[in-house]
Amino acid sequence: THYNHYKHSIVALNLTLNNMYSCSSHYGNAIEEFCLAKFKLDMEVLDQRQWCSWEDTVESYGELTNCTFLVALKMNCFWPNRMVDEFFIRVHRHYFHDCSMSGRLLHDPPNRILGPFIVVPILVTLLMTALVVWRSKRSEGIV
Amino acid sequence: MAIVGHALSIVSLLISLAIFFYFRSLSCQRITLHKNLFCSYVLNSAFTIVNLITVVNNPKVVQRNPIGCKVLHFFHMYMLGCNYFWMLCEGIYLHTLIVVAVFAEEQHLHWYYLLGWGFPLVPASIHAVARKKYFDDNCWMSVETHLLYVVHGPIMAALLVNLFFLLNIVRVLVTKLRDTHRAESNMYMKAVRATLILVPLLGIQFVIFPWRPENRLAGEIYDYIMHILMHYQGLLVATIFCFFNGEVQGALKRQWMQYKAQWGQRRREHCSMRSTSYTATSITEVPAFMYHHDCNSEHLNGKQTEDSELVALKTGETYA
Repeated sequence: THYNHYKHSIVALNLTLNNMYSCSSHYGNAIEEFCLAKFKLDMEVLDQRQWCSWEDTVESYGELTNCTFLVALKMNCFWPNRMVDEFFIRVHRHYFHDCSMSGRLLHDPPNRILGPFIVVPILVTLLMTALVVWRSKRSEGIV
Repeated sequence: MAIVGHALSIVSLLISLAIFFYFRSLSCQRITLHKNLFCSYVLNSAFTIVNLITVVNNPKVVQRNPIGCKVLHFFHMYMLGCNYFWMLCEGIYLHTLIVVAVFAEEQHLHWYYLLGWGFPLVPASIHAVARKKYFDDNCWMSVETHLLYVVHGPIMAALLVNLFFLLNIVRVLVTKLRDTHRAESNMYMKAVRATLILVPLLGIQFVIFPWRPENRLAGEIYDYIMHILMHYQGLLVATIFCFFNGEVQGALKRQWMQYKAQWGQRRREHCSMRSTSYTATSITEVPAFMYHHDCNSEHLNGKQTEDSELVALKTGETYA
């Protein structure tokens, strides 16, 4: 339903701008006004810690990208273009600046991997302790 | 604030090490284990301070995420393991000495060195591999991950095993040896008492860590206690094992007396112009074996037992 609201505003944009046959700097304002507003609302719904989670943000991000594409079509701009690039750099700088390099929110591995990683060193520790106790007994000549 | 704690720890540990190395008469196997323990504490505090100054307080470095800060973290985890595994070595040594072999000959320390310096590489490496593969955040700084238990799990296991050994030693000393070897068992009780106090102190931070009280005043008290337990550990260890040790205090007092006597002699020498080296050496010629009650008890059989009883009576309730 939100997306339909979009399409209506794009059509309205189309009607007002149908005299313009080439790309202009109004494109930058257009995508700020029409596309970024919705993206902002979507991200505000999410907890700030989830902003780096790809699974949670992929849909809104896709909509944002699509929206800029449609506006570019209507305004006879090439897509992608420099204004879109700068727009996305600003979006990233605001929302995704402290995400890790792998691009995903860091989380622990599942328990079937975490479990052995924790239990094995503990068992090795106990074994090693037993070994040292046994060897120090033996060095006395007492078995 | 943590830096202050660690710096104090380093200073007190270095003083203790100097005392142990300077007074040759104190030297024995147990003191050798203490020296290794203190070295690992010094290195751990040093790495912690370096880590705090260069990485934790420095967001630019964290953002740059150089490989060096992860290497530093790896060595920090290794040193943390070394600390606790050397405490375990002390416990195993006492256990072997008292329960298993009952005051027998000197042990071979190679396996203790392996457990104390070599083995902590294993949890530290496994942690590094797991962290790199599954939770590779900047400089590995995050404490929100359960992967930290790869290092903390073996440490807690070591502390529990240590506690078990020490309680077993106390049980044996109190029940079985009290009648047959009274003098030695008293001395060993003092030796064990120090270790038995330290192990829960070191371990309790892992137990109460998840349970911060909600109440504001209690929460602040909790923070202070955790801060002391975590950052002043070296100071605690140095104090309990060295400064409160009766032998060390005796050795220091003797040295102080010697200096005072020499100083006094030197002043009188100007007047009398007589060589005082004869007098000075006669003061230091106190029979050294009389003071070896705690350490060299393993040699106590036969005729030296009377001397040890004498010393035990003399030094009374000195805190071992």
